[in-house]
Amino acid sequence: MIRVNKRTEVAWEEGITVTDLLEKLNYTYPHIIVKVNGELVRRHAYDTFTIPDGADVRVIHLIAGG
Amino acid sequence: MSISKKAETPRRVLAEFSYERAAAERGYTGQTLYVNVGDGTIESRPVTETMKEQFIGGRGFGLYRLWGGVEDDTRWDDPENEIVISSGPCGGITQYPGSGKSIVVSISPLTDIPVDSNVGGHFGPLLKFAGWDALEIQGKAERDVIVVIDGRSGRVTVEEAVEVPVDTHLVGHWLIDQMAESDEDRYYMSVVAAGTGSENSRFGCLNFSFYDRHREAPRFKQAGRGGIGTVFRDKGIRAVVVKSGPVSGDSNQPADRARISKVGSQLHREIFEYDDEQNQMRKGGTTYLVSIMNDYDLLPVHNFRYGSHPEAKKIAGDVWQDLFTQGIPDGCWYGCTMACSHAVDQYEVRTGPYQGERVIVDGPEYETIAGVGSCCGIFEPWAILEINFYCDTYGLDTISFGTAMGFVMECYEAGVLDQEKTGGLELSFGNAEAAIEVLHQVARGEGFGSIFGQGAHRMKDFFVEEFGADRDFVEDIAMENKGLEYSEYVTKESLAQQGGYGMTNKGPQHDEAWLIFMDQISNLLPTFEDKAEALHYFPMFRTWFGLCGFCKLPWNDVVPPENAETDEPQKIPSHVQNYVELFSGVTGREVTEDDLIEQSETVYNFQRVFNIRLGKGLREHDAVPYRSMGPVTVEEYESRAERYDKQLREDLSVDPQGMGTQEKLAALRAHREQQYEKLLDAVYERRGWTPRGVPTPKKLESLGIDFPEVIAIVERFL
Amino acid sequence: MRVLSYAAGRCVACRTCEEVCPETFFDETSQDKSRIRIHEGRETHRAEFCNQCGECIDVCPTKALARSRRGVVRLEDPLCVGCLSCVGFCPYAVMFWHSDEVVPFKCIACGACARECPEEALEIVDVEEPLPLGA
Repeated sequence: MIRVNKRTEVAWEEGITVTDLLEKLNYTYPHIIVKVNGELVRRHAYDTFTIPDGADVRVIHLIAGG
Repeated sequence: MSISKKAETPRRVLAEFSYERAAAERGYTGQTLYVNVGDGTIESRPVTETMKEQFIGGRGFGLYRLWGGVEDDTRWDDPENEIVISSGPCGGITQYPGSGKSIVVSISPLTDIPVDSNVGGHFGPLLKFAGWDALEIQGKAERDVIVVIDGRSGRVTVEEAVEVPVDTHLVGHWLIDQMAESDEDRYYMSVVAAGTGSENSRFGCLNFSFYDRHREAPRFKQAGRGGIGTVFRDKGIRAVVVKSGPVSGDSNQPADRARISKVGSQLHREIFEYDDEQNQMRKGGTTYLVSIMNDYDLLPVHNFRYGSHPEAKKIAGDVWQDLFTQGIPDGCWYGCTMACSHAVDQYEVRTGPYQGERVIVDGPEYETIAGVGSCCGIFEPWAILEINFYCDTYGLDTISFGTAMGFVMECYEAGVLDQEKTGGLELSFGNAEAAIEVLHQVARGEGFGSIFGQGAHRMKDFFVEEFGADRDFVEDIAMENKGLEYSEYVTKESLAQQGGYGMTNKGPQHDEAWLIFMDQISNLLPTFEDKAEALHYFPMFRTWFGLCGFCKLPWNDVVPPENAETDEPQKIPSHVQNYVELFSGVTGREVTEDDLIEQSETVYNFQRVFNIRLGKGLREHDAVPYRSMGPVTVEEYESRAERYDKQLREDLSVDPQGMGTQEKLAALRAHREQQYEKLLDAVYERRGWTPRGVPTPKKLESLGIDFPEVIAIVERFL
Repeated sequence: MRVLSYAAGRCVACRTCEEVCPETFFDETSQDKSRIRIHEGRETHRAEFCNQCGECIDVCPTKALARSRRGVVRLEDPLCVGCLSCVGFCPYAVMFWHSDEVVPFKCIACGACARECPEEALEIVDVEEPLPLGA
């Protein structure tokens, strides 16, 4: 199980990447900060960074309306 | 290009005032202009040190002057009501994106309290360069007038409006043709106008022009919120014109130009490097928000019942990028490389008095698309453009129009209204033609349009009294608070933003607080204390833009990569520091980040007291319609049943199994309403207010605004 | 189009150009007002100056930037409001600003530096397409 933003639970799968997780959650906003177990994941690594089971993931959206 | 002047219309001057133009120095000219269009008084009023220190400029100056001009019982259409326009000390610098905003303040026909409406275009900066930190208009003209402020000759006139058209796209062109003596005159001239819609509704807007040198035409930005266009036409004003003479990078005479040039050129570079991969403001402006809001279930659909719709892609950002003319620097003030003020050129008008004309449509922006589009179930770009164009030229606020129309359409579908009551219009969701016909009726003051023009708040009473509508139902679904229609975000799952809207001084506009993602998605505000802190910091920080002449967008619509490594990335610390540099660099007054917040707190609390003075501004006025908090109807509940059932189980320890939807609705509602009350308690405490929402004398004293007349007002409610 | 051209192999980083340029336009020799900047390397040096690509023309809100008949991108000072948009949006970062000046400045291929360069590393040439930066 992956816990996102200390609220949403997503089933863990072998090899799940940050990109996979964002797709599952339909997090389409381009401007976000992703931390996995407290570690900042750079945008260029979203496709390759695999998330371990039980991870605490933060996806901070930098958006503040029109 | 040379000027081909049309035959000049004779000008009949009714009142006249000559003055020595004061140059701006460190952001201030040191005087404001008072014009009474009723008795012809025109005078210069000094800007005091108290004004500069406590009220800063912009919204602060507007509220300060308005406070002095009105009585406790002044209403929007009394002659003593004022319209005050001011940019602020940093307004008019050219080096930093988003530095040409103005704030307009007046007593609102919708809310009966002060409204502050922020607007781009060139008027505010050019007013300053013509010698004035603010323009204060009072009185009512017997016959329609125009006000002309000519900084080059040092002359202010009130003139009879001979042959001056009323609708904005006409008056803008007409005045430039009549009054510009050279190309340079066109560049350094700005017009404020409303329209025929402003005459017949309470949600009239003001259009502020800027001359687009690439299109060789005037363009317009709107001071949309709160009905100031209505006040403008009620005063008998058709237009206000300012001419300043040439603008340079030094016109605002900053204390340290190098300091602002440094942060300005840096931000231009960030926009150059990152805008394309981030929000693409330069290509599509705020239209990118449509698909984002839809994806996150936050786009108002069918009067805020739902947060997404399969057809939303038809009105998403890429559609508008194709319609907007690309490659033109679309800033609404010099140096704005964020350049969100896009336009559709050569749009052929399909309906109404200007049918067949080819016009420039300024926009649409996100709020217009969501308001007159998805909120009304309208997913046709042409209809959104048609309504956008007519709202602007008639001088009507697209947000109020869209949100009020969503309300009307739901009433129609619920049987509150029928074709007999609407004069034959089938106002069901998605009927663009019917919505456009209402718009024309509003402008003409006819038929159902004359009811609609009163706004959602007054329509509720009318529907109950005249049409037998159920009071509870219309109270629940009309998206208004304090009399103002909501702007376009669904807040059902964000308690913080429910409060953000409900506690906003002028009524539910999102310029003070926009916390939905921080709260609902990112879960950065889990406790009431966290929410209260955010509802202290962000409204204060965002209010500050409107004191100084800044636009909010360059603060966080582009962000440098290193922001990810900061402690509070959502505040964009490096850009906050830019504003510290800019204020210090312009005014020569060294400030810190905390000082910016305190500057805002002063004005913010003053405005809260001003609301109380005029009869609102207490806890009961911060109540919000239940549609903004949770599902009102069975079908709304069932559309998100999984989410709501989960909440019943986890937060209320109630087993939804075996409960009917009505029963579940009631349980959820009781819980959410209670949460909202707890939020108010937490926020009021954080802000230094009593549980009734009244700023305490101690708080006012700490902010230096414990003036006797201010204290006297709060004392009545302690 | 008329452009300045730079032969890195000849340059000895004597910085004569960085003195001639501000003297020509600002009547002083302060190098941070030069429209050409030499960066010393261990073996070869490099130069930064405008290659007349014209990207800045579309960024200017006041149409103060335009291409001359000879293809040189020039700033018409009276139209410029000093917004520095062009500084931030120059792909090569060769539109410069200085705290003394209200408007930005760039190389206009006047040739003053080329005439004075003791190593003949600089010359004015006519080209069809903009040269790569510092070439």
